Amino acid sequence: MANRASRYARYLPEQKLEISLFPFLSIFLSVMGVLSFINILSSIHSPQKIEMATELEQGYKVAFQMFSLPDGIIIVPPVSRLKDLQKKVTDADVRDEIASIIVQREQFIANVKTYKGSLDDFAVAPDVDNIVALLKEIRFVNEEALKHNFLYEEFILFGIYPNGGKAYHKVRDVMAYSEDAASISIGLEPLDANWTLNINGTPTLDSQQGVSQ
Amino acid sequence: MKQIINVDSLTDIISNSVGILIILAVVNLIHDNSKAYQLEIPIEHQSELSPVFIIAKDDSLILLDTDMIFTNAAMQATDGAAGGKRIFPLEYGQLFGQIDDDHGIMFHAQDIEGSEDWHHFSTLEKNKSRLRQQLNKIDPKKQFAYFFVYDEVGESNISGSGFESFRKAREYLKSRHIKSGWKPVDSDNPASICDVSFSPLCKYLPSYLGSS
Repeated sequence: MANRASRYARYLPEQKLEISLFPFLSIFLSVMGVLSFINILSSIHSPQKIEMATELEQGYKVAFQMFSLPDGIIIVPPVSRLKDLQKKVTDADVRDEIASIIVQREQFIANVKTYKGSLDDFAVAPDVDNIVALLKEIRFVNEEALKHNFLYEEFILFGIYPNGGKAYHKVRDVMAYSEDAASISIGLEPLDANWTLNINGTPTLDSQQGVSQ
Repeated sequence: MKQIINVDSLTDIISNSVGILIILAVVNLIHDNSKAYQLEIPIEHQSELSPVFIIAKDDSLILLDTDMIFTNAAMQATDGAAGGKRIFPLEYGQLFGQIDDDHGIMFHAQDIEGSEDWHHFSTLEKNKSRLRQQLNKIDPKKQFAYFFVYDEVGESNISGSGFESFRKAREYLKSRHIKSGWKPVDSDNPASICDVSFSPLCKYLPSYLGSS
């Protein structure tokens, strides 16, 4: 029986062991491709959006935001905590004045939100009288908060877009010689042209606006 | 004996890879669109720390050696070259100076290419880079870094020419607990160093906290 089997095996055609490298190569190249793609993405990655919330706070300090663009500035004033301050105020005249500031600011934010064009077009050249009025308003609010022991202080936060320095310098020039501005804190941050304004669905700032200038 | 190369497997691999890359690109795009970054809130504050001045332009940075600059400027002024708001070479980092009553000494950085005093911000990642060594010399207990950052946009760029280098340097300084402040500059509003007694605009304050 054993002899028969060995004789049969002797006449069998020789068979080589063949291993297909295709699946290995396929997986290997796919992984390599994916990794290099991720690598490229992460190397060119930059934030696409910045959340420009209307209410930006650091402790009791609340940001009165000014975005400085090549064509001017866009103002995004805070409102919600100002309403809390209004409730604290006992003097009717002051309460009315704060109420009118709230209405004015809400109207302004609503205008920004409903504006359908490019936000770059929405920017207005800084006007000295307007800046002075804004500084007075912020000072008034801060002083009333202090009087009523309410932890609330508005400060101006500048967001500087590329080529937006000129508008910023104009505002700072006015502030440098204003008594109202002396007590107002200031912050500033550089923003890239493709960082979009996103105020609860407001139009986005076209990524080309900074480049085309 | 002829060898036949079967291209099916290669096509399969390529189509697999391309398909996966497209899916990843779409996923990444969707993911990026929903990304939102919170704006930093650095607030300028009074400080007894003294400023170390740095100019950021074209992805490069230069630390101003104020002793050398003021000496050079004084020599130029003595020679009469700096009179009448004339622009004169500072012989430092290919910078030009201008003296003005309101702004003190102004710095014009025009063509900085090839200057050894300017350092690309990417060199910050190297341990022995000159830029890193210069920044490491800032004493957080006595000094803070004040940046003049060019906001002008270069070709095919979405960022101000000095923004990226400023951000990188600021992050590096933050890791070393060094405070920093900045202001945007351009050719019309150049970097300047002056005393606050000349103008209220001559204030250099830190805003970014050095502690992490």
